[in-house]
Amino acid sequence: MSCRSPVPAARLVDYWLAELPDAEANAIEEHLLGCGGCSSELQWIADLAGGIRRLTHAGVLRMIITPEFLSRLESEGLRVRQYALPAGGGVACTVTDQDDLLVARLSADLAGARRIDLVQCDHEGRELARIEDLPFHAGRGEILVQESIEVARALPSHVMTVKLLSIDDQGEKLLAEYTFNHTAAR
Amino acid sequence: MLQCSRMEPAEAFEHSPDAVEAAELARRVGAGSPRHAREAEEELCRRLAPRIRLYGLRHLRDEHAAADLVQDVLLVTLDGLRAGRLREPEKLASFVLGVCRMVVIEIRRAGARRARLLEQYRGDLPLAASPRPLLDTDRLRACLERLPARERSVIVMSFYEERGGDEVAHALDLSPANVRVIRHRAVGRLRDCLGGKQ
Repeated sequence: MSCRSPVPAARLVDYWLAELPDAEANAIEEHLLGCGGCSSELQWIADLAGGIRRLTHAGVLRMIITPEFLSRLESEGLRVRQYALPAGGGVACTVTDQDDLLVARLSADLAGARRIDLVQCDHEGRELARIEDLPFHAGRGEILVQESIEVARALPSHVMTVKLLSIDDQGEKLLAEYTFNHTAAR
Repeated sequence: MLQCSRMEPAEAFEHSPDAVEAAELARRVGAGSPRHAREAEEELCRRLAPRIRLYGLRHLRDEHAAADLVQDVLLVTLDGLRAGRLREPEKLASFVLGVCRMVVIEIRRAGARRARLLEQYRGDLPLAASPRPLLDTDRLRACLERLPARERSVIVMSFYEERGGDEVAHALDLSPANVRVIRHRAVGRLRDCLGGKQ
């Protein structure tokens, strides 16, 4: 169904996330109830939100999260296996079928950092993967990395090094390094 | 993808072909012969049900509550149309919105009216709910993994928690405006990656 003045997609997202002033939200709601095209757009956004919830519950996304988000997931009954490491620390780690989420809490002095990359290296120091430009809160002094539980379950036993690098105009500077001695899931 | 640089909701609704057709259906429910009224009711329900469900999801954040809302709002709306309480059929959307608001309040209060309406009219409701294909979750996962880390975190935390930019901004030490820009960019990338609306 065509619409001559469709609600912009960004406003529909704002509406879905309850960010609009009441008057604007009301106008959009009235429009949506009378417009098949814009309702279809909102349906896509609702489906996107539903898909993200399913993937989050499945623990299959690799991403940076916050302590508040982790608490929310735990409060919903998800079983979280988490390893908290100080800068320079190491840990013997694994994952089991009883775990829903796998999270590494990496402590480091983040003050003054403008951009932080996370680098995964093998036991000989070869770079395997890099997550560029992590979102972080400098005042909190830790970065929470959620690993895909599906990927982690498939890993063999191995030793992996993770580095947090501060990136600026001068180049890269090591903020902290962590060692994960992973035992394969049984 | 629908694009528009500005929005005029009321005007767009008044003049959209969709709204004109819905007004005609509402007129037929109130004034038509029983057979024509029944056909008009079925068509109105088919059109309105998914839109009311979205309203319910947005306000109640619960599939079952949204499904209850659809039934209740359609019942009250049809009842109002049959009784001629909508004097200007062109204002059907405004009428339905008013009913939605009322029923949401009642659902939240777990009022008795909902049960009474369902008891009275449940068998009379011409609902034709059709299963709707969901977004391909595997495809969505692949698309999320292609997003830059910052966008992935912002989009997942925003949509999972269904919260506005202020809280996500605070948690990630970003400005609310920046979160909205990141979020909008990420939605656009996901839309492109997923191939538009499904």
